[in-house]
Amino acid sequence: MNYSFDFQSVTRNLGPLFDGLAVTLQLTVAANAIGLTLGFVLALLLMSPWRLVRLPVILFVEFFRCTPALVQIIWFFYCVPMLFNVFLGSITMGILALGFNLAAFNAEAYRASIQAIPREQLDAGIALGLNPVQRILYIVLPTAIRASIPVLLTNGIVIFQQSALVAIVAVQDLMYQAKSLATQTYRPIETFSVAALIYFAVSFPVTQLVDYLERRRLAVAG
Amino acid sequence: MRDQPAAPLVSVSGLQKSYGALKVLKGIDLTMKPGERLVVIGPSGGGKSTLLRVMMGLETINGGSVTLAGKPYIRAGATPARTVIDIAVRRSIGMVFQHYTLFPHLNVMQNLILAPCKVRGENKVKASERAAALLTRFGLGEKLTAYPSQLSGGQKQRVAIARALMLDPRLMLFDEVTSALDPELVGEVEQVILQLAKQDMPMMIVTHDMWFAKNIASRVLFCAGGVIVEDGPPEQVLGSPKEERTRDFIDRVFHIRQ
Repeated sequence: MNYSFDFQSVTRNLGPLFDGLAVTLQLTVAANAIGLTLGFVLALLLMSPWRLVRLPVILFVEFFRCTPALVQIIWFFYCVPMLFNVFLGSITMGILALGFNLAAFNAEAYRASIQAIPREQLDAGIALGLNPVQRILYIVLPTAIRASIPVLLTNGIVIFQQSALVAIVAVQDLMYQAKSLATQTYRPIETFSVAALIYFAVSFPVTQLVDYLERRRLAVAG
Repeated sequence: MRDQPAAPLVSVSGLQKSYGALKVLKGIDLTMKPGERLVVIGPSGGGKSTLLRVMMGLETINGGSVTLAGKPYIRAGATPARTVIDIAVRRSIGMVFQHYTLFPHLNVMQNLILAPCKVRGENKVKASERAAALLTRFGLGEKLTAYPSQLSGGQKQRVAIARALMLDPRLMLFDEVTSALDPELVGEVEQVILQLAKQDMPMMIVTHDMWFAKNIASRVLFCAGGVIVEDGPPEQVLGSPKEERTRDFIDRVFHIRQ
């Protein structure tokens, strides 16, 4: 291959890329805020003794787990406005699509951790006179969150990467900026390589942190 | 007045409990006077742990009722799901379980003061002082800030007992609290329970440890097949049981221990 690399075309235009990164991070943080809170509520509802409560939640969770994120995003941008006559701005719609997707995956992580809490531990809570809300707040929530942190972090960083999909619906995130820069400079190899490196630079420390937490948890358990 | 027998602390009448088609308790009647220490022995699946769990209000029931100090606090309803449990009365009972009793995300002190502060609204400083005094009495004065994962099994169970005592229970239930422990750790936990016995704490204990049963019981119940087969002083039930089934069980248990 006879190609002369020109990374300067990218380094001269880092500004827009970092603006894009800021949008990507904004999407990630907001989607995680939804995913972490809504996910826990969904997990509790999933374990409800009443079928009427469980059923719609199961549908919600399975919809997001069993369809491609790309389809979900497109559906949110094009179908939701037409069906329900609401459009809340492209970033907000992006946050909702990613946030609901993450909530569905986090709900499963929480549910697994909640179900792993030994029954005697909850019995001890009853024996100590804690009411159901206090048992959730002081026993279930802290234990389940601690146990699910590695999975929640992994899901969170997956959403950071998945957020690149919103570029397709004109949210000006890192991927969108990279695409337009590549078109302007005719340097797709350099531009997308740098974009990939930026995604990597953010994700890698988090995956390392997850590994560390997993090792520590195993060490404590063993 | 003085000649009248003391009013019962606990009375259980006609207690029935099934798990699906399986009848675990088939009509238990039992009264316990204040200051008594009942040890419940019997084969696995005989209903002894279930009896304790029902008394703690952890299970629904199919029939009967349980009364504490004259207040009926557990009553069967039309269906098991309708079992009526008086939560205020239930709070005056403490229970210690076989495993996983401590909350792993809280240190020893936090485990002890959680319920007093949240349930009774006790001042945190006061609760901490009481907790420290109790833990010191149980030989755990240096473990106040340790987490459950840093404690031995015996230490965990002693903390669990202290935690239950923080709510000043009128009755303590011990459900096989030494069964999951390494043999060399059993003694330290039993010592703590014996210490409580000396202070006349009313208690009901499910155990497989016959030495402990003999030493702590003021009365022994032999429970099998969902009924109380024999009920009497420890010398009788453990030493010269009247019932055939009790004798078989005692023979087998002591045989294994030799």
